Amino acid sequence: MQPQPFLRTFVFPAALCALGFLAAMATVLQYSLRAYVPGSLEAGGLSFDNFSALLKPLYARVFIDTVWICFLTAACALLVAYPIAYALVHAQNRLIKAAILIIAVTPLFLGEVVRTYSWIVVLGNNGFINSVLLKLGLIDRPLQIMFTTFAVVTALVHVTLPVMVIMLAAALAHIDPSFEKAAQSLGAGPVRAFLTVTLPLSTPGIIAGVTTAFAWTFSAFATPQLIGGGQVNMISNLVYQLGLASFNFPFAASLSVAGLALTFMILSLLRVVARPFEKFGPH
Amino acid sequence: MKRLSILAFGFGLLLLSFPAAAQDKLVVSIWGGSWRDLVAETVAKKFTQETGVAVEFITGGTIDRLNKAKLAKGNPESDLNFTTSHVGWLYANDDLYEQLDLSKVPNAANLVEQAKISPYHVGTWAYVYTIGYRPDLLPGITFESWADLWKPEVKGKLAAPDFDPSHIIVVSALLAGGDAGQWEKGQEKLKQLKPSFKAYYTNDANSQQLIANGETPVQVILSMNAHHMIGQGVPIKLVIPKEGAVLGIDTIAIMKGSKKVDLAYKFINVMFDPAIQAEVATLKKGSPVVSSAKLNPEIAKLPGVFSTPEQWKSQAIIIDHKLRAEKTAEWRKWFAENIMN
Repeated sequence: MQPQPFLRTFVFPAALCALGFLAAMATVLQYSLRAYVPGSLEAGGLSFDNFSALLKPLYARVFIDTVWICFLTAACALLVAYPIAYALVHAQNRLIKAAILIIAVTPLFLGEVVRTYSWIVVLGNNGFINSVLLKLGLIDRPLQIMFTTFAVVTALVHVTLPVMVIMLAAALAHIDPSFEKAAQSLGAGPVRAFLTVTLPLSTPGIIAGVTTAFAWTFSAFATPQLIGGGQVNMISNLVYQLGLASFNFPFAASLSVAGLALTFMILSLLRVVARPFEKFGPH
Repeated sequence: MKRLSILAFGFGLLLLSFPAAAQDKLVVSIWGGSWRDLVAETVAKKFTQETGVAVEFITGGTIDRLNKAKLAKGNPESDLNFTTSHVGWLYANDDLYEQLDLSKVPNAANLVEQAKISPYHVGTWAYVYTIGYRPDLLPGITFESWADLWKPEVKGKLAAPDFDPSHIIVVSALLAGGDAGQWEKGQEKLKQLKPSFKAYYTNDANSQQLIANGETPVQVILSMNAHHMIGQGVPIKLVIPKEGAVLGIDTIAIMKGSKKVDLAYKFINVMFDPAIQAEVATLKKGSPVVSSAKLNPEIAKLPGVFSTPEQWKSQAIIIDHKLRAEKTAEWRKWFAENIMN
């Protein structure tokens, strides 16, 4: 065991933060177990009504929709991010490398609301996509893109992309290029070499990226709220609609607790599913 | 020793400066953006001119400020609070407001009855939620009654606020022979409107964007928003249906525990100054709450701007503010479960 002189110094602030988060979580939990009193800010006595109300099919549907949107976002982000990360790692020209990196991470520097409003401009009836399609004569009336799952996922992929690219690029950068060259020298074409060598070796990055994208999307609020227009709802929108906008804090708390439990369940499941693939990583 | 004395003196001065600074300003809690600017440029400006006391604003959303006020109960961060009439009841029910003595507010003598919300909070300006639509995108369709929203031509074109369904819930109840207290009577009627909803807007900016780009050419819209967009060149027609439009009133109250109650009363008195009321109405295209306010005829004729007792009586659907505070959660939940999802 090596001496770690700074361990206590670094652990102390982290422990304080953890204590703060724990206190906040405990407050949310105790609110979820209390009754709502109409017309009052104070919650009532102990009650399980908030959780029994969650058994209605509506809530089950929103929970399933949330998981589905998270899955679609993670999968689409992976498909878009992988070629970008690959190009970022393998580009020889430093200018091209820098350009790819800047384009990939720019969404992180835009405010969530600004970014979402710009998507409304792109996806709306009079937006960029519909205008182009109408001018090209491909459609005779605007396509309904806004307020659909497709629109919400598109905007969510945009925000998830930088994280996915960075995680995949980190994984790809750790793969020794000589492995791919060795495969090619043994007769494999570039596609086969990629599919049998690079792709399996980048599995840890894929798992990390997908898990992070999934967890990140789970708490998305502004994007489904504005792009979904109340027609595509995720759990956080339901918390806002039913809890905060109507001052029913106990019910909002129970939705949050249920959402958190579901996140843990899904992430645990992902971990179990991903375990057999982890052995493919570079050693 | 000398250095220590200087330090102690400096520290003493610093301590003395805190109460002095606190006496020099009145703290007002209000929404941010144009609402803060409106009050800063009208009421606060005149208040400071008259009293020499500066006004400091604490801004935030309705819920954020409510939560902060609750946490600071007894030792409020602000002296005065602006919020909507029904949310004001939540403050009052939680003992966060001082009971008002309107005898200390001479200008309140002309306050319209509809603005006297409770013993704790009074209206400052009014607006309506009503039907606003784009005639250029809906040729041949007119709206004279709330019932016209149920026309088949409106299918897939309507938007309403997602943060407060009380307007459409009460309207549906009225059309079905009920009222706010018997809102259940309108449930089936409102369910028939479900196919007409294309989206639900989250805030004023979202509402403005959806009607400006034609995404939702009909909205249950805040009159002030519609007038703002008309001023920007968006061809919106705002209608006061024959049943009336749903009245909304923003209110002011003195926070319980405020140490500047006298100044707070002076601020409220300036708020009800007829000239200030007319200025607020002109800037926001809302209704003044004192009958003595003299409005520019161009403003007075706008739909949703009430300047006569007859208009207040015949054009406004008033949802009892206390009932609304108590029912908001129930209405919101029913709307989310049966209409939105």
